[in-house]
Amino acid sequence: MSALRLLWSTDHKVVAKLYLWSGLGFLLFGGLLAMLIRWQWAFPGQPVPAVGGLLFPGSGGAIAPDSYAKIFTLHGLVMIFFAITPVLIGAFGNFLVPLQIGAREMAFPRLNALAFWIFALSQLMVLSSFAAPLGTASAGWTNYPPLSTNVGTPGWGETMVAGALFVTGVSTVLTGLNIVTTVIRHRAPGMSWLRMPATTWGMFLTSILNVLFVPVLGSATLLLLFDRLFGTKFFIAGAAALGHGGDPLAYQHLFWIFGHPEVYILILPAWGIVTDLVSFFSRKPAYGYRLTIGAMCTVTLLSGLVYGHHMYVSGMGPMLGQAFMALTLAISIPSLVLALNWLQTLWGGTIRLESPMLFSLGVIVVFGLGGLSGLFLGDISLDIYLHDTLFVVGHFHLIMAAATFLAVFAALYFWFPKLFARKLDEPLARAHFGFTVVLLILVFGGQILAGYSGQPRRLFDPYQYQFLQRLLPLNRWTSYFAFALLLAQLIFIWNLVKTLLGPANAEANPWNVGTLEWTATATPIAANNFAEVPRVTRGPHEFEDGEPVAQNAT
Amino acid sequence: MTWLAALGIGLPRDVSIEGGRIDSVLHQAILATSILFAVLFAVLLYAVLAQRRTASKETGSSPRASWRTLFFALGVFGLIDGTLFVRGLRDINDVFWDFDAVDANPDAVRIEVNAHQWAWEARYPGPDGKFGTADDLLSTNEVVVPSGAPVLIELASPDVIHSFFVPNLRVKRDAVPGRITALTFTPNQVGTFEIACAQLCGVNHYKMRGELQVVEPVAYAAWLARGSDLAARAFDPEDPAADWAWDWKARR
Repeated sequence: MSALRLLWSTDHKVVAKLYLWSGLGFLLFGGLLAMLIRWQWAFPGQPVPAVGGLLFPGSGGAIAPDSYAKIFTLHGLVMIFFAITPVLIGAFGNFLVPLQIGAREMAFPRLNALAFWIFALSQLMVLSSFAAPLGTASAGWTNYPPLSTNVGTPGWGETMVAGALFVTGVSTVLTGLNIVTTVIRHRAPGMSWLRMPATTWGMFLTSILNVLFVPVLGSATLLLLFDRLFGTKFFIAGAAALGHGGDPLAYQHLFWIFGHPEVYILILPAWGIVTDLVSFFSRKPAYGYRLTIGAMCTVTLLSGLVYGHHMYVSGMGPMLGQAFMALTLAISIPSLVLALNWLQTLWGGTIRLESPMLFSLGVIVVFGLGGLSGLFLGDISLDIYLHDTLFVVGHFHLIMAAATFLAVFAALYFWFPKLFARKLDEPLARAHFGFTVVLLILVFGGQILAGYSGQPRRLFDPYQYQFLQRLLPLNRWTSYFAFALLLAQLIFIWNLVKTLLGPANAEANPWNVGTLEWTATATPIAANNFAEVPRVTRGPHEFEDGEPVAQNAT
Repeated sequence: MTWLAALGIGLPRDVSIEGGRIDSVLHQAILATSILFAVLFAVLLYAVLAQRRTASKETGSSPRASWRTLFFALGVFGLIDGTLFVRGLRDINDVFWDFDAVDANPDAVRIEVNAHQWAWEARYPGPDGKFGTADDLLSTNEVVVPSGAPVLIELASPDVIHSFFVPNLRVKRDAVPGRITALTFTPNQVGTFEIACAQLCGVNHYKMRGELQVVEPVAYAAWLARGSDLAARAFDPEDPAADWAWDWKARR
């Protein structure tokens, strides 16, 4: 297939790979930005080794305060919208949903390809914002006005990034609609709702949330763009608003009505993947599968009702505060149910510790740490102290960075034979797992400890404060672990390059599991997926004498 | 725990009457979540490493087993989240967000703080007890309060959002343009403590550092008298930079 035809393809598997590569590229970009932040906290004001002179010629190779604000702003935006979302939902959602439900294509193949190209445009907008006269965006990934309006960040770099956010939102909604429609309309005969793999359930629920809540982010961003471009004052108040201003908190409400579901948008596919993989590699049915699906649906329902905990210290009254506190704490019930079901699946299973299983166990552990640290922030009196400190940063990184990325790697190692007809090297994969999981916990655990000790987030030089000077050793150690974490990813890159250059000789069903993508397709998968549409006769996790039974077995 | 201290890890010293409430909930939450995590992690390790059976016959689940899981989750939730909720509720309703009770206290110290890029301007009402008059005492990046008296601060911002954070008091509140927000605390130890801006407010966010000076009541009275005297002489009705007061409690 020529390169041009590859680019024009509407095949969901090809579109998935386009998302995969563009997402992994931005993942590396976002990771390198994180290293600069860590350098600044470990060695404030000192020139960045090797690349400093090239990146920051105006400040002698050291990171200046304005560069620092751009770096952490773009780190957050790139990771959430341009790395995790495309890899998890764009790549694996697109690739797996039709295969797992026995469909030949997505419901709207051309819309699917269009969604990718809209997404690619948004990535291009992000990259080009760096060329703006005042540089790229610098108001934080949350883009809180008035700082994100011309009051705080003039210049078209910020406008361009806000525009990119809107554009990528359009792409996400289109993909969401496509996945929801595909799952509802295109399931193979016999593929009832409760015979769907949990992975597809995760993608389905995530897509529902995307369709419902990304438009809210879109509207907030559009109003923000009006404020920047046309002199409106939706979110501007104070001295900059002549006459009656708008309300900065209105933006926060809109942002977090999207922003909190966004956490679940990213974690629901991960939960689904873990549910399936833990069952496959324990040679046991997913324990309490119905309850697990029920818990995921409950989280989906609750996700839009808890966002107020991001705004406890914004001036919220006690009445609203206690309502959000109750709802936020309540969401820990379904989360705990999921963890208990995973443990009970493992219990008494025939455990095979291959790389997808190792990464899934890693997800369970870091999700446990991240979820439990979230309880602290759901409680208002603790949040008064911990809000906007590194405790929050460590907490959401455990969930949104550690848990989702470990799930991405679990998925990548597991489905690589179907994606590329090759199996990644297993010893390298295990080494990659060992270093990654330990270092992720050390890095984000270090942030939680710094936050517990009172360090506010987003400080160019935390040591301006006397009470933070004692935290330099901790921050430095955390940075060393972060650098090591990046280096450990070289193991993965090496494995990736080596395997892709090697022969395409993967077995059809190397992990020996029973879901349709393994039992009903050829390797490599044919253009229309299935020689004939499979008839589904059973659930995704059925075993006889420890051997999986294919979902399309007669 | 000495290695934690060696790395500088630990809560800043609590210098308020109320801060202990937050520390106590915090430590309880750490204990409860640590135990829960340790138990679940031990089960996971045991399941993965110690009892790898072959050819499991278990069907995986039954409605009854799911009810058991659900009840266990509800039990843990009731115990940990329930305690957190009740204590959190008491803390905000009785102490941290109960501004009217402090306002009703004749001994309460009232201060207006105008947070702007990148400094904290504090305003004391002066002898007449009213804000926005010629005898107001103004102070930049320095908030002086007496030890032992409840302090009520109203916050505003003319430009972007800031957040008034005093780690040693465990209090934090955003200053939002177009609104007046409030926070309260009762310092009980004399000393100088740092005020940090906790909300990203631009390039020099990291330099928006203020000092809270807690002094003996006698010293506070002397500081107030001297300051008001100076303020009355320095008052300039033409100076727009000093013209930022608001009516107390008007928009809270």
